[in-house]
Amino acid sequence: MNAVTEAVRELSYAEALREAMDIALDRDPRVVLMGEDIGVYGGAFQVTGDLVHKYGTDRVMDTPISELGGAGVAVGAALTGLRPIFEFQFSDFATLAMEQIVNQAAKLRYMLGGAVSVPLVMRFPAGSGTGAAAQHSQSLEAWLAHVPGLKVVQPTTPEDAKGLLLAALDDPDPVMIFEHKILYKMKGPVPEGHYTTPIGTAAIRRTGRDLTIVASGIMVHKALEAAREMEADGIDAEVIDLRSVRPIDRDTILGSARKTGRLMIVHEAVKTLGIGAEISAMVAESDAFDYLDSPIIRLGGAECPIPYNPELEKAAVPQVPGILSAARDLAKGRV
Amino acid sequence: MPDGYRDGNLPYAIRAYDADTLRAALRKMYLIRKFEEGAENSYTRGLIHGTMHLSIGQEASAVASCMALSDDDKITSTHRGHGHCVAKGADLGRMFAEFFGKETGYCRGRGGSMHIADPTKGNLGANGIVGGGLPIAVGAALSAKRLGTGAVTVCFFGDGANNEGAFHEALNMAAVWKLPVVFVCENNKYGMSTSTERSTAVKNIAERAAAYAMPGVTVDGNDFSAVAEAVDAAVARARAGDGPSLVENVTYRWRGHSKSDRNRYRTKEEIADWMARDPIPAFARLLVDHGVLTDADVADIEAETEQVIADAIAFAADSADPDPADVARDVYNPAAA
Amino acid sequence: MPKVDMDMDRGRIVAWHVAEGTQVAKGDPLFDIETDKAAMEVEAQAAGILHHRAAEGTEVPIGKPVAWLYAADEAVGPSPAEIGASEAPAPGNAGSGAPGEDGRASAHAADDAGRRDARGGPLHPDRGAHAPLARAGAAPQEQADALAPRAGDSDPECGDRPRATPAARARARDAGIDLAGIAGSGPRGRVQRADIDALLTTATPAQPQRSGSLAVSRRGGGSGLPVVLLHGFGSDMTSWTPLEPHLGDRPLIRIDLPGHGRSAPDAMPDFAALAAAVRAAFDDLGLARAHLVGHSLGGALALALADTRPRQIAALTLIAPAGLGPQVNGPALAGICRATRADSLAPWLRTLVADPRRITDSYARLAMDARADPALRAAQTALADAIFPDGTQGFDLTAALDRLVPPARIVWGKADAIIPWQHALRAPGRVGLHLFDHIGHMPQIECPEEVGKIVGQPL
Repeated sequence: MNAVTEAVRELSYAEALREAMDIALDRDPRVVLMGEDIGVYGGAFQVTGDLVHKYGTDRVMDTPISELGGAGVAVGAALTGLRPIFEFQFSDFATLAMEQIVNQAAKLRYMLGGAVSVPLVMRFPAGSGTGAAAQHSQSLEAWLAHVPGLKVVQPTTPEDAKGLLLAALDDPDPVMIFEHKILYKMKGPVPEGHYTTPIGTAAIRRTGRDLTIVASGIMVHKALEAAREMEADGIDAEVIDLRSVRPIDRDTILGSARKTGRLMIVHEAVKTLGIGAEISAMVAESDAFDYLDSPIIRLGGAECPIPYNPELEKAAVPQVPGILSAARDLAKGRV
Repeated sequence: MPDGYRDGNLPYAIRAYDADTLRAALRKMYLIRKFEEGAENSYTRGLIHGTMHLSIGQEASAVASCMALSDDDKITSTHRGHGHCVAKGADLGRMFAEFFGKETGYCRGRGGSMHIADPTKGNLGANGIVGGGLPIAVGAALSAKRLGTGAVTVCFFGDGANNEGAFHEALNMAAVWKLPVVFVCENNKYGMSTSTERSTAVKNIAERAAAYAMPGVTVDGNDFSAVAEAVDAAVARARAGDGPSLVENVTYRWRGHSKSDRNRYRTKEEIADWMARDPIPAFARLLVDHGVLTDADVADIEAETEQVIADAIAFAADSADPDPADVARDVYNPAAA
Repeated sequence: MPKVDMDMDRGRIVAWHVAEGTQVAKGDPLFDIETDKAAMEVEAQAAGILHHRAAEGTEVPIGKPVAWLYAADEAVGPSPAEIGASEAPAPGNAGSGAPGEDGRASAHAADDAGRRDARGGPLHPDRGAHAPLARAGAAPQEQADALAPRAGDSDPECGDRPRATPAARARARDAGIDLAGIAGSGPRGRVQRADIDALLTTATPAQPQRSGSLAVSRRGGGSGLPVVLLHGFGSDMTSWTPLEPHLGDRPLIRIDLPGHGRSAPDAMPDFAALAAAVRAAFDDLGLARAHLVGHSLGGALALALADTRPRQIAALTLIAPAGLGPQVNGPALAGICRATRADSLAPWLRTLVADPRRITDSYARLAMDARADPALRAAQTALADAIFPDGTQGFDLTAALDRLVPPARIVWGKADAIIPWQHALRAPGRVGLHLFDHIGHMPQIECPEEVGKIVGQPL
């Protein structure tokens, strides 16, 4: 084998998303981008960037500040032959559009007895860490994941951001993509051209035998950092990137829980009634329960809105030291 | 009557449509009436599981608003949508079957009265959310414009929806993007129990059109010809690429909001007054007066629609219930990888 | 049931020394009892023929009968159904055969007799036999505190169900092991997968290495001072398993004593020979420095080793060590040596721990499996005879303790029924004492986390 390999091309998470949209706009005339300030402004987080110059305002459409109406237009367009990618400026603003997402997009196919599909992609810049406080920092993926009919993904790498967005466009059902704002600038290798990352599959980011950490969104990176630190203690953590909240990759999670017998779930969204509860219950209800050798641990957002002060903001969501100490206790059977 | 007199003063419907089309329109109005009476009767006999929102008295608005539409054109409908379905060519048997919750229904028993749709005929569905269909109609119009299909979307909504944010957002976007959509407000004067006088700042809902720089017109919703004239003009404008319009059909529902309505907010006299303005005999009279049909033709049409309804109910009653094992079918498209 | 302890309200009959229907003389050892804090042998207060024994393992409140002594010519009455039950009315006459030590006890007995009268049961007031074996009674008021349920570890709603993880339960289920009584190494004594694995390992130990003539096994890797583990009489190196998770990642070296575990059943004429064998094995290990941990007899051997290899022993932890006094529970040693079946081994194993529920039947089966070799049992019987002649510790290491060079500490359970914990008080002042309430002779199994912490503390 030739040991010489090409230098891997690196893109930021935002660039990877933009490249996915560029490919989609180029290969499928039905694809349109919709959202607030996604045209010449380039999007609040510069994800759409200069695409408007390449594809024009008919394909890269600035909507009025009308989240409900805009979302509904996207639903109607998806219902009738377009492939809209709708960007919420902040995931928090999707609360204004819940009617269209939850009552219409999610349910139309079922209500109509399977007669229609809503191939809609929505993008939600989410998460804390930017000092934007309570109304611009939420992680609401569990809200939408609670609704049958929607699919919800949380890419954590530039490669997956592109692959999941392109997979979402191929999907006949509404796919909600939660993008952590802190990740937009993260760089990573991104394959060229068109490829998809399957929706509904988790990724084992690190194999280990002592405990399983299922993490979502930015917490995957924090969990990996904690796992690296644990190595020094001889603790071998397996880190699973949930990647798809709905459908959830049951097999991967249960398989890992069976293997390690110790399960921890970490997400930024509020812990109570969150995705961690779902995963925890899923494991407890399955045969993997018999393999558990300690209680399941969940780490999640505190019982408060995301605060403004930077130290408070950090305190409101799981951080590496907390993950590390919880994982140590779990691995050593102290929980 | 002399031809010249007739040409100059004929009602729009008589001028615009041939006899077969007009006969078919009258027949649809009867079908709507008989369908809803049949549904009400079935409800009373315990054959229908949920509630229903009857549009008896509003048939002219539904049928006349769809006169210029082909199967490629779209409509979005409301919770009071049986008339729109029939007007857009739905099969009565499958409608009843949906009402009865049967697998042969339009929604295979998953939707019920409030979600009857027929995408093959361009009917994107009734909607249980007030104002829910407004942005969707704009989206359908966006598709038509982007894809160059030439299709127009007629968006039915009630007077209640005009105070929803979705109404304003949808009208604004349709106007900004000059989309081929016609907003047809069926103003039956009450959002459940609250009258438009008590709920809406403008006297006529069509006045709202001014805020979105589109034409707005208020017509007698029980006058088939007047509705057809207004909506046809709006459809033509949309099809020509000149953007959206708002047409307000002032009409009246004879029945309560739903089956739980005890009718405490309006007077018997008011109801009786509107019932005296029944749009169906009025349209039949127009057709007879202009020699399109005879009284005997009208009686035949009515009798024939009664038979259609009886057959439709029999079809629905004989149809199979869905299998509970399939309860979660059609949540997602199996075409997904 | 005699009162043998200050705050005792009931005693558990651990074992009978006399069979049903046997003639006993006054002063014969009749049965062993165990309380929260102590275990002891009870002698017959009178001569007679033993009948209606309370079952072994039952708890009997103080002052209640545990059996009846009949006169030689006396007809044996029906078995009192309530025997051993706390609410049982004591049948029979206090009489002269079972004198209360105070008036209240007598009155209490008389009251019982009255009730027995009313029931028309057989009375033999003149014979002095057929008397409840009560040596002391206590007024209920004095017992009120002791009778109150102890603040337990477990939720009363859960009864005695053991804490265990699903993985431990599944593994135990598969292996046919009863979880009850297994000392869990997890928080609040929760049994975890490793605890079951340890039990299973006991049943099928890996072939150990040898050092000198003794079997040795190691837990490799890790860092820090190696810990050399010397088990007690009748046990083997697997007895350290519960403690091991609490010893950090330090290298462990376990030695099987002669005639124990995988070591050869060589004859040991005396303690000196035994100590020499262990010393040879230790020398063979070639350790520059080690932390020596010995339990019971292993504690005595650790002390002996430290006496002769002071420079190599960095620290010494003695758990319930032998060699500091003459007393030892001879019957228990003999019972363990004698047992050929789990059924006869289990009661003696239960005397090793404060809470006999720790020793489940399945645990006893596994322990018996490890003692299946008759040669091993014979060697241990011979060893017991050599070093514990007549149920006495025939060796004395108090002098070695006094002149001990390495830093040392002693860990003891104050409910030790094998060697009295008070022997620890013989230690000189520089030796640390760690005494645990409600812990028996096996602190390393009964409270492994605590012992692990002590071993891990720098000296």
